[in-house]
This record gives sequence, C-alpha cells and structure tokens, in this order.
Amino acid sequence: MSGMVVIRHALALCAAGALLGIGANAITPKPAPLGSKVVASADAPGAVCQIQGLQAAIPRISVEEAKPLCVACSALFVDARSAAEYEAGHITGALHLSPGDAVDPVLWRLGVYKTVVVYDRDPNCSVADQVAKKLLEHGVEDVRVLTGAWPAWSAAGAPGTPGSCASCGPGPTASSKGAP
Amino acid sequence: MRRALVVASRLALAAIFLYAAASKLPDMAAFATDVANYRLVPEVLVPWTAAAVVGIEVVVGLALLTGVYARGAALLAAGMLLVFIAGLSQALLRGINLRCGCFSSDEPADWWTVLRDLAMLVPAIVVLTLRPEARSHDAAPRPEDEDHLGRISTRY
Repeated sequence: MSGMVVIRHALALCAAGALLGIGANAITPKPAPLGSKVVASADAPGAVCQIQGLQAAIPRISVEEAKPLCVACSALFVDARSAAEYEAGHITGALHLSPGDAVDPVLWRLGVYKTVVVYDRDPNCSVADQVAKKLLEHGVEDVRVLTGAWPAWSAAGAPGTPGSCASCGPGPTASSKGAP
Repeated sequence: MRRALVVASRLALAAIFLYAAASKLPDMAAFATDVANYRLVPEVLVPWTAAAVVGIEVVVGLALLTGVYARGAALLAAGMLLVFIAGLSQALLRGINLRCGCFSSDEPADWWTVLRDLAMLVPAIVVLTLRPEARSHDAAPRPEDEDHLGRISTRY
C-alpha cells in the first residue's frame, strides 16, 4: 500500500516537473526550440565526426585532406560499412572491413601504407571508430577516421566506384576474405 | 543515526539535482542538442524531453530539499538515474562520442560518468528505503497508527 503511495507521488512529481520544465522553457535565456526538430551534432549541416569541445579518441581527417591521399595512393582506405553498402559504392581502392571481421588476414595490406583512413556511413563515425580502434590494437600506427563519413566523401565528388583504384594495388577484399 | 543518514542523503541528492538543473537552465538549446546526441529520442520530441528533464530535476530537487513527498522524489530520482545510466551506457557501447549533458560543462561521457550516476543511486535508495520519520508526508501509516485512528473513529 505504501509502495503505491510512493509511486503515485513519484508520478505526480514527474508530471508536475515536466509541465514546469516545458512551461518555463520559454523564459530561459536560450530555450530549447519546442516544436522544432533537434538533430544530433553529427547530423547538423557541416557536421564533422567530432563534437566541439571533445577530444576524439581516434584522430580525424577531413575529406579535403584525405582526397589527395587516395589519388596519390599514400593511404589505404578502409570501408567499415556493410558488405551491401560497399558493393553499392565505396572509395576507390578501399578495403572492406566491418567491425566483426578479423583484422589478421588483411594486416599485411594495412602495413604497406603509411596512413589508414577508416570511414563508415554515419557522420557520427561510431562504426569507423570501432574498426579504427581494432586496427590500432593490431599495431597499425597511423589510423584516422574520415570526418563526415561516406556521405561527405560522395557529396564532395571524391573518387568512389565499385571498382578498385588502378594505382592502389589489387582489388580490396574479394580474394582474401570473401567480401565484395 | 538512521535519521541523520536519511537527511544527509536527501540533502545531498537535492543539491545534485538542483545544481544539475541550474547548470542547464542558461542554455536549454545546448542541452537539447546533448539529448539528441544520445540518439534515443525522436528528433521532434528532443526539445520537449530536454525541457521536461530539467523541470523534473527542479521538482525532484525541491521535494528532496523540503522533505515533501521525499520518498516519491527519491523514487523518481532513482528512475531518472537509471535512465541516464542506460543512455550513457548504450552510447558508450555504440562508440558514440558525445558530451555527458549531466551538467553544463563540456564533460565527455565516459564510464566514470556511469559510475558517478551509479554512486548517486545510493542516497536515492537510502531515502527510498529507510524511513526515520513517522510523520513524513509519504510515510506509510503504521499498524498501530491505524489501530489508534480506528479506536478514535469508533468513539465518535
């Protein structure tokens, strides 16, 4: 019985608090925009993988910085998206490596390049971060995550095809791990 | 001793919740973005959720401070903390890099913030489970009280 009373009080406080908060929001100096959508920082226009004020665990690289690395073949790009997404289109010459894939079979390829750039589909880069972390744990030294991910890369008109980069060595993964 | 423990827990929790609310009030829009970054609430509901959370923090803090409906407030505080812990944990497990949103600072979400929220559960549970004051607003009537009232009612 007492428990029900406490629960009723909690619900009453919750309702009163919610009403107070929503009602008083307008008189705060910078109110939350009720009635408008509020998107995550990573989804905002011009977003990058790193939220302002936070130090990213994995170093970032912008599309502008990464594009010449692809053309000059001085970096290996790693696609952390699903196999289907990779098949639909990926950065030219990119290796496909999902978070659940083993790193060891492709480690020899990663070691050839000075820099490894990981990207995924989501501008918050959470999947790319997971793969990048795995690569760092396997001893790959210079691993970066592409800010803006695949959407930013393709929007910038940077090289992206289902084929492999002519000067970036053999096809990415088809022969070695069964990926496209 | 038990009374002191409950009062100390109540006041400590009140201070934390009131401070948390006060730190968010100057920039509710930024807090709404912090809520959105957790990717748990539909975008259209994010600002409403943010405003409601701060209002609930204020009410919980005031209830704990004054002792009015203190156990109900402690239950609500514990529920909120569990939601915060779940939100932080899912974000960390998904590798989302975000601000905690716990207070006004740019404090990043990490496992220490989860531990801190877990620690805050302790005073909430103390207030919720220990009942030092028979005259508390939301204390359950003891059997002897009911008997007493029963005897009175039969007299009149």
